Amino acid sequence: MDFTIRAATLEDCKDISRMILELAEYEKASDQVKITQRDLEQDGFSKNPFFHGIIAEVPEHHKSREGHAKVGYSLYFYTYSSWKGRAVYMEDLYVMPEFRGKGIGKALMSKVSQLGLAAGCTQLNFTVLDWNKSSLDFYLKQGCWDVTSDLGYHCMRCEGDALEHLAQGDL
Amino acid sequence: MSNFHLRKAEPKDVPDILRLIKELAKYEEMEDQVILTEKDLLDDGFGDHPFYHCVIADVPAEHQKVEGYSVIGFAMYYFTYDPWIGKLLYLEDFLFSCFTGFGIGSEILKTLSDTAVKNRCSSMHFIVAESNKASIDFYKRRGASDLSLQEGWRLFRIDKENLLKMSAYE
Repeated sequence: MDFTIRAATLEDCKDISRMILELAEYEKASDQVKITQRDLEQDGFSKNPFFHGIIAEVPEHHKSREGHAKVGYSLYFYTYSSWKGRAVYMEDLYVMPEFRGKGIGKALMSKVSQLGLAAGCTQLNFTVLDWNKSSLDFYLKQGCWDVTSDLGYHCMRCEGDALEHLAQGDL
Repeated sequence: MSNFHLRKAEPKDVPDILRLIKELAKYEEMEDQVILTEKDLLDDGFGDHPFYHCVIADVPAEHQKVEGYSVIGFAMYYFTYDPWIGKLLYLEDFLFSCFTGFGIGSEILKTLSDTAVKNRCSSMHFIVAESNKASIDFYKRRGASDLSLQEGWRLFRIDKENLLKMSAYE
């Protein structure tokens, strides 16, 4: 199947927002999505963006059942490893179910890799849910390794009240 | 001892930052993994588009140890994005050597949390090695939750060699 991979623009935020919700549903967490299309426009397309996006698009005659031509996306940003330096973090990678198995996911990930390498990054990091077997298999096949499993690194979070208390110096 | 001073890192702090990064890596038995140089830290942290920010803890001359270091702690952080909740602050590295128990770690964490809140971040994220019980307890006491345990998130990585292969995919 014919598809193109290109940088996301402001106009893509409507479809990115739609697909973010689809991905959240797949991860059984759609009630946790607070970011709107408008937030994406401001946070991703202003002078100092907090993320970058790439889109997978198919031609007219291959549009989805509901008429969408933008059928996949990836959101990424640059991070820093205190051991290795510049790194790229792939926050989201998603392809609509009816377009899977055609190399679109791999092409999106390949693009993020290219952009990361061009920016001087030496590693690409991302997280995967442990029950997501098809994604885990896909990533392991691409030469990725499980840092949590191999090095025992756990992802931690401090948010909401805990963050506020920490900021105020309460213990 | 309460007269330590927290401040934003400057280019002149780069040698101390690298020293502390190596000290932390040694603590995790990973010293040979540090390939970052002072030049990298300078270019990447103090250019037009910094990849990271750094907070330094230093002590006045009379409290310096024999080796004469005045910089005794640091935290390296940057801003990330969660498409569900927006901006986050990511704590990459955090070390306070020699003077543990004097509240320096707590003070650094407080400053960073304050930075997170002021920058409208809804959360502060970081990773901890599961073998590092002291750090896990330190963070859990302050309300941090373990996403790997609670929600099943696993951190994955592709290193340079496979990144090159991946980028060549047609």
